[in-house]
Amino acid sequence: MPTDLHRRRLLLDTANGLGGIALACLLSEQRLLGDSPRPGDPQPKIDPEHPFAARDSHFPAAAKNVLMIFCSGACSQLDTFDFKPELIRRHGQPMPGAEDLVTFQGGQGNLTRSPWKFRPRGESGKMVSDLVPMLGEMADEMCFIHSLTGKTNTHGPGENFMSTGFTLDGFPSMGAWVTWALGTENQELPAYVAIPDPRGTPQSSVNNWGPGFLPAAFQGTDFSANKPLRNLDLPAGIDAATDRQTRDFLTEINRRHLRQFPGDSELAARISSYELAARMQLSVPDVADLASESASTLRMYGADDTANPLKAAYAKNCLLARRLIEKGVRFVQVFNGAYQTGGEGVSNWDGHKDLANQYAKHGPVLDQPTAALLRDLKQRGLLDDTLVVWCTEFGRMPTFQAGASGRDHNPEGFTAWLAGAGVKAPFSYGATDEFGYKAIENVVTVYDFHATILHLLGLDHRRLTYYHNGIERRLTDVHGHVIRPILADKVG
Amino acid sequence: MSFPAKISTALCIVLLGSTTTGAAEVDFQRDLLPLLQQHCLDCHGPDAAESDLRLDNLTDALRGGDSGEAAIVPGQSDRSYLIARVLHDDPAQRMPPDSERLSDQQIELLKSWIDDATSWQGAEAELAGRRSDHWAFQPLVRPEPPDLHSAAVRPQPGASDDPDAADEHISNPIDAFIIDRLHSEGLSPSHAADRRKLIRRLYLVMHGLPPTPEQTAAFLADQRENAWQRLVDRVLASPRYGERWATHWLDLVRFGETHGFETNRERPHAWRYRDWVIAAFNDDQPYDQFIIEQLAGDAVGADVATGFLVAGPYDLVKGQDTQLRLIQRQDELADMINTTGTAFLGLSLGCARCHNHKFDPVTQTDYYALQAIFAGVEHGDRTIPLDQPTRQRLDNIDAEVADLHQRLTNLIRSHNETSAPTVLRWRQPVDAALNEESFPAIEARFVRFTIAATNQGQPCIDELEIFSGTDSVGLASKGAQATSNGDFEHPLHKLEQIHDGRYGNDRSWISSHVSGGWVQIELPRPRSIDSIRWGRDRHGKFRDRLATDYRIEASLDGDHWTTIASSDDRLPLAAETTPPTYDFTHLPPTQAEQGQAWSARLESLLAERKTLAESAVAYAGTFSQPGPTHRLYRGEPSAPREAVAPATIAALGDLRLADDTPEQERRLALARWIAAADNPLTARVIVNRIWQHHFGEGLIDTPSDYGGNGTPPSHPELLDWLAVELIESGWSLKHLQRLIVTSGTWRQDSRPHDRGLDVDAATRLLWRFPPRRLAAEGIRDSMLAVTDKLDATVGGPGFSAFEVEAENVRHYFPKTDFGPDDWRRMIYMTKVRQERDAIFGVFDCPDFNQVVPKRNRSTTPLQALNLLNSPFVLQQADFLAARLQRSADSDAARVELAYELCFSRPADDQEIAAAIGFVEQAGWPALARALLNANEFVLIP
Repeated sequence: MPTDLHRRRLLLDTANGLGGIALACLLSEQRLLGDSPRPGDPQPKIDPEHPFAARDSHFPAAAKNVLMIFCSGACSQLDTFDFKPELIRRHGQPMPGAEDLVTFQGGQGNLTRSPWKFRPRGESGKMVSDLVPMLGEMADEMCFIHSLTGKTNTHGPGENFMSTGFTLDGFPSMGAWVTWALGTENQELPAYVAIPDPRGTPQSSVNNWGPGFLPAAFQGTDFSANKPLRNLDLPAGIDAATDRQTRDFLTEINRRHLRQFPGDSELAARISSYELAARMQLSVPDVADLASESASTLRMYGADDTANPLKAAYAKNCLLARRLIEKGVRFVQVFNGAYQTGGEGVSNWDGHKDLANQYAKHGPVLDQPTAALLRDLKQRGLLDDTLVVWCTEFGRMPTFQAGASGRDHNPEGFTAWLAGAGVKAPFSYGATDEFGYKAIENVVTVYDFHATILHLLGLDHRRLTYYHNGIERRLTDVHGHVIRPILADKVG
Repeated sequence: MSFPAKISTALCIVLLGSTTTGAAEVDFQRDLLPLLQQHCLDCHGPDAAESDLRLDNLTDALRGGDSGEAAIVPGQSDRSYLIARVLHDDPAQRMPPDSERLSDQQIELLKSWIDDATSWQGAEAELAGRRSDHWAFQPLVRPEPPDLHSAAVRPQPGASDDPDAADEHISNPIDAFIIDRLHSEGLSPSHAADRRKLIRRLYLVMHGLPPTPEQTAAFLADQRENAWQRLVDRVLASPRYGERWATHWLDLVRFGETHGFETNRERPHAWRYRDWVIAAFNDDQPYDQFIIEQLAGDAVGADVATGFLVAGPYDLVKGQDTQLRLIQRQDELADMINTTGTAFLGLSLGCARCHNHKFDPVTQTDYYALQAIFAGVEHGDRTIPLDQPTRQRLDNIDAEVADLHQRLTNLIRSHNETSAPTVLRWRQPVDAALNEESFPAIEARFVRFTIAATNQGQPCIDELEIFSGTDSVGLASKGAQATSNGDFEHPLHKLEQIHDGRYGNDRSWISSHVSGGWVQIELPRPRSIDSIRWGRDRHGKFRDRLATDYRIEASLDGDHWTTIASSDDRLPLAAETTPPTYDFTHLPPTQAEQGQAWSARLESLLAERKTLAESAVAYAGTFSQPGPTHRLYRGEPSAPREAVAPATIAALGDLRLADDTPEQERRLALARWIAAADNPLTARVIVNRIWQHHFGEGLIDTPSDYGGNGTPPSHPELLDWLAVELIESGWSLKHLQRLIVTSGTWRQDSRPHDRGLDVDAATRLLWRFPPRRLAAEGIRDSMLAVTDKLDATVGGPGFSAFEVEAENVRHYFPKTDFGPDDWRRMIYMTKVRQERDAIFGVFDCPDFNQVVPKRNRSTTPLQALNLLNSPFVLQQADFLAARLQRSADSDAARVELAYELCFSRPADDQEIAAAIGFVEQAGWPALARALLNANEFVLIP
């Protein structure tokens, strides 16, 4: 909703006795507190009664919403999308200069080619490995960034960094920033949904969708196809009629109470929030109900794969994600990989010791459902407005670890891809060195990656600030440049 | 020499030239000016000042730019960053940018300019004397409250509900300041709120709990003139007060009970700090003392308080990559520095980690000087010296135990000579983790620990601590010296680690002798010592190399030794936890009965002793003498620059500490500087925080930023008046609380009116009391209070809101069943970082990772769902319904009780009728469910 319209809506509410103080606050604050804007002033003016109302971006946006697929555990670029012929040629030899190189778990063994073959895919002929062949088929839709660099080689801080722009805990997630800035189009569903892996939460757990110091309203609401939204359902033992009577009675005593505080926006907002909750009780089960999906759709996603229940469960999450995007949810995160069950690499992409066997299980879970999601979005025309982001916390080494059959952590060069609204595709940007170890061409940082995503949403990462403890905080701290070469021509 | 901001370059140059007359060889006007003008001043002059560097006057040039590097070191061009950048090999780094390197002749010219040290003396003196004119850094002076006699105080039209409350506006000077400002905006204060609203507000703000109907009735009936003051005193004296206000402090110091990051493991001993904070508020500990104890409690007999230093998150996952480990360590120290700066001084210091602060007089050097203060602090549990009452109790137990043994021995011996023990072994066997030896105080300069036998191999001791009362006197950082008769050579095990203040196998000493090895600590001067603690591995991982047969001796001169403790009275290791048993079968019945009674008493004493002696571990950090701290260029551990001595922000003060000041002294010096009455920030910051928690916003609405980027106070004189008042009251926070809640300003009604809304909708000027929603704790605690299920136990380990899956990486699953264990106040809910409580966390609970000076107050549908449908709330609704049905015998009386409990007021006839009508349809639990969700229930009125 454009700002003017939004203000008019507020005025209308004022006439009804609601929202009066909210508007008056907006109008009188500046006057009282002097000429210079208060540093604490949040930039988007949040109407407490409608915190999720759609808000203007800084400039026209290429993308309206974001669907992020996050592979937790550090998915190896060398076994998926970063093809390195030299690594295959020099397989089994030491990596030059790596004699004294100590990474997260210690010293290096020899250069090791991927257990999976790379083949040209799509019309573009992009080389993608056999670990993710169906994603490979979608390569023409993808805009690869092969030269991402991080600043930590530890999972927790790494996931924080990718999701919040800071390695430390406690900063707002990208989805929180975006929904704080833009609100959402659908007032009956949460503005920001995080869908954890069927096996559990990622390593940094709720940090990945936390509000940090932004208002709690903007945290991701986590639910998935197999784990419903907490406290959404009517509690056992309370029938629908009693529930409705109770809400009506509550509304009545709240309205009566409000008469003592005419126009109090916080109290009015609480009344509205109960109404919204009631609507969500209808709309969330509806959006989460996959029964209306056709058998062919379920098959395309692999949601009917009884032989691989894990894949079927992740596929259902992907389907849920599409349904949420379709309904106008602003920011959806889908996680692939969890730190729930067992040690490193068992249920996520952290392949230190036994990469070939572990990835052989993870690849099929990720591949078909994610590819189907992309295909489905495209078929439904949703890619026009939706930015799809595939990412992981950092990359892995081209060597195997000394004395082990897997790759250590590597934040020096890794791959992510974007697809959909506002990005060039097929396109590949940046490159790692001949082995896929360090980014050397068009090197970009996670800050740049974030700045670019915000840019595609019509947000200037330098202007999207929130005052906290003496600092105008940003998703990108004091860094970041929009990666302009990957933007579609019309975006610029 | 200082310049207006927009002075012309030409003028600068003339002035600059005139101050450098000493440069004999260099003709400044002729040689240097054209050079600077042509190559430097466009970017580093009065108009641009890129990187905050100006070269157009000597003082600014000497101050340097953002980078924190010294642009000019007078007399030492080779150490001057300006020359380094001019000479830089990398064209991207070299100055001036995008051009050829300066000629050798030009560079020589710059060098001679810098090398002429005498010409810089004036600028050096001026820089040293430069003081910020920012308001918050100016000394505190008590302002006179405005005189309002001429301006009559006219409340807004509209009758007050309480005739007793009329004309109470000017109760104390706070009101004079507030009303004066209101008048200047054409506003007046509101009437006093009625007594019901006042008592509810008071309890919710001060206790985070509603008043009981009995408390409300008593206050309404109190006709004494000072009824309000009496009520306030009662409320301040209640332990509920500290429990409420400690939450504000714990938010501010990012207190959590797990480590955070990916593993997010528990910190089982962190709760002691929470209890310490609660007690500090309840005991009205003077605020200056409160500061000192948190930074250096180990120096002043308040060890638990240093939990402050390490209350923040800590990454347990340390990779092999040394560079990243160094960054992790820098992050840990940054957390301590930032929290200290924010919490006590209202300054954001974190920016200066990488560059000079952009808005405040905080240089990068200042940041690393502060880092040198904290550089010896490590995360971890610390053994806390037992307090005097506990030590006394232990002594009494020991005496009684010895006496019981004697009696039991005599008893048994009286009938059977051979069954009598020859040596009384009654103390617990040695413990690999920790052993305490207490003994009558003895004057000693030397303590020697000699090991005759171990359970396996050469003996290992991770720390040998010698106490004089609560003071740990044998630490290396306090000047004590360790010697031995032979050390096992190993990089992990070193003699100096025996008293470095750090625990664990890799901070330990191993003797080279399997038997007969000794280690000795020489104190800097003779001390009266009365206890010793030692262990093989306090972290509990290693149990080998444990001294099982040992003796500890003390000496004043190093020649004459007295045994002060030994293993002679300990039970053998195999008999762990089994107290000695006595056989009474051969005794006559009456004597056997006596023996059994003594034996039972003995067992219970030993059990008590074990608990008491164990109770002394807190997550309060460990301390050791740090090496030198270096300034890091751009904050990069890979780019260390000059060493920096411990100090505070130079523009604000000087601690006068030498580079090698003992660790504890560093923290104590900083603490005393912060807590000094003449620190311009400390009192101004805390009074604003207290004010904020009463009125929702502080007088400064950037409560942790008093620097140039913060907002100026809405009532600057009131702020200063309160600050001086606090200091002069002996830093009594309760005095400040009392002043605020007895002011007319606080007691105003909260209802809005058009005139106030027109001028000041946000109520910053306080023309009414600003009503607002309770925080998460207030909502949860209030529910438990009205259902009568609240467990009011004060202190101790908390309760968990989660089922914990104890994998390497902890997983927290919200509980779905609740019982009495969950019904304590929410401040005792174990604070799991990242994982907010599943029900109440959405009410803007912090995630305990970042300093939170002011919580958000958002309203979301998830809050509504949680309060309507969560098992916790539904269970409480059932309890409330049962209480109503139990406690009153008519429906009308039940509804009245419900309103009194939930809203602190009677229901009117209409409300009673409506509620009874609703109950007839939906039942009492439904009414309870609605009331617990009501706006009125969660509002501070």
